[in-house]
Amino acid sequence: MRDGIILARSGVPTVALVTSEFTPQGDFVARSSGMPDIPRVELPHPVAGTDDATMATIAAHAADAVIDAWSGR
Amino acid sequence: MSVLEASDDAAALELLHELGCTDGLPVVVPTEERVARMALASGLDPSLSLGLMGPAMAECTVELLATAAVMAGCLPDHMPVVLAAATAVLDPRFDLTEMQATTHATTPLVIVNGPARAAAGVHAGFGALGPGHRANASIGRALRLAMINIGGGRSGSSDMALLGHGGKFTMCLAEDEEASPWEPLHVALGHAATSSTVTVMGADAPTSVIGTGQAGTTVYAERLLTSLATAFRSIVSNNAAIRGGQAALALNPDHAHALHSVGLGRADVQRELTDRAVVPADVIDAAAGPSRSGGRDRPCFAEPDDLLVLVAGGTGLYSAAFTTWSTGPHRNRAVTTPVLLDQACALPGSAGP
Repeated sequence: MRDGIILARSGVPTVALVTSEFTPQGDFVARSSGMPDIPRVELPHPVAGTDDATMATIAAHAADAVIDAWSGR
Repeated sequence: MSVLEASDDAAALELLHELGCTDGLPVVVPTEERVARMALASGLDPSLSLGLMGPAMAECTVELLATAAVMAGCLPDHMPVVLAAATAVLDPRFDLTEMQATTHATTPLVIVNGPARAAAGVHAGFGALGPGHRANASIGRALRLAMINIGGGRSGSSDMALLGHGGKFTMCLAEDEEASPWEPLHVALGHAATSSTVTVMGADAPTSVIGTGQAGTTVYAERLLTSLATAFRSIVSNNAAIRGGQAALALNPDHAHALHSVGLGRADVQRELTDRAVVPADVIDAAAGPSRSGGRDRPCFAEPDDLLVLVAGGTGLYSAAFTTWSTGPHRNRAVTTPVLLDQACALPGSAGP
């Protein structure tokens, strides 16, 4: 979430990716950083530490949601 | 600063527990009078901000820090060390915001050097990281309570440590400069011997390292160095698996003298351990997958200074290795900050300034 906020602040269109277990933490960071409405997409948990095939599957399922969030839909 | 109201101390304590303002243990209720007295011991304006503390990104004022110190059970004499420790973790190189949020089990290890050790009563010997030493327990706890109540690091919602470790309640000690054969840690880091410092490092729980042998022999020194390095190069540690971070080693005085007795200075020990803290390629491949090593053995540390060596604890067989998270924008660098002992006002009822 913080990476996303840093990118957004620099003017880069951004969608923050947050796994389900980290959603409350991501929301907290978004609020405390003054960007509570930053577009975000929730991913299944965990992503880090899984294998390449799992990450590819997660990415494929999330792609449309990321594009929607980017497009403000 | 908002003020809570309660009918008595017991009700106030329950309210603080309910609001998630404690570490789960009882705290001293931070009344306005107690906080004002603690803030006075800093010698600084209570409204002065030391910086933004994450992940809440809230101003860490002297008054809020004094509140944490009161809650932790600190004496006013502890406040300069608490102040230095908070200043150190707020240094951007420490990556506190990211460290608070990680799933890793890490916490600031607070190392006190110089005259502040005696001024605050920070213990360096037997059981320095265990129970029974008020300054050690209270100073480390004050920093943790600040990280909870100012930084907003709450377990399971913003502090995402999967399990944590006992040091997350408090982990503060002094270097045993008198028992050390070497210059004090802060002198090795470039500070004057007459100055006082706090060094903070994001640390895992300590790993005990056993070492037995005949001091004064190179055979024992070699074996001891190998044992100590093994604590860091174990592939289960982030120092070995991720690399690029720092670590700390608390040598007990016997182990320090055994190394010194064969002509090794602190820098020599750092270099010898860095040279030995190398993960073999086959170990990397066995743990992380075939060919992950690229056929190369991988050092845990980029340079000898990445390993902090201090002398602490009782004399005997065991030293302690502190592996680290080794992650964050700055790799969670250790930070050393001066303790300002001459700033405090004379407090009513205290023995001195």
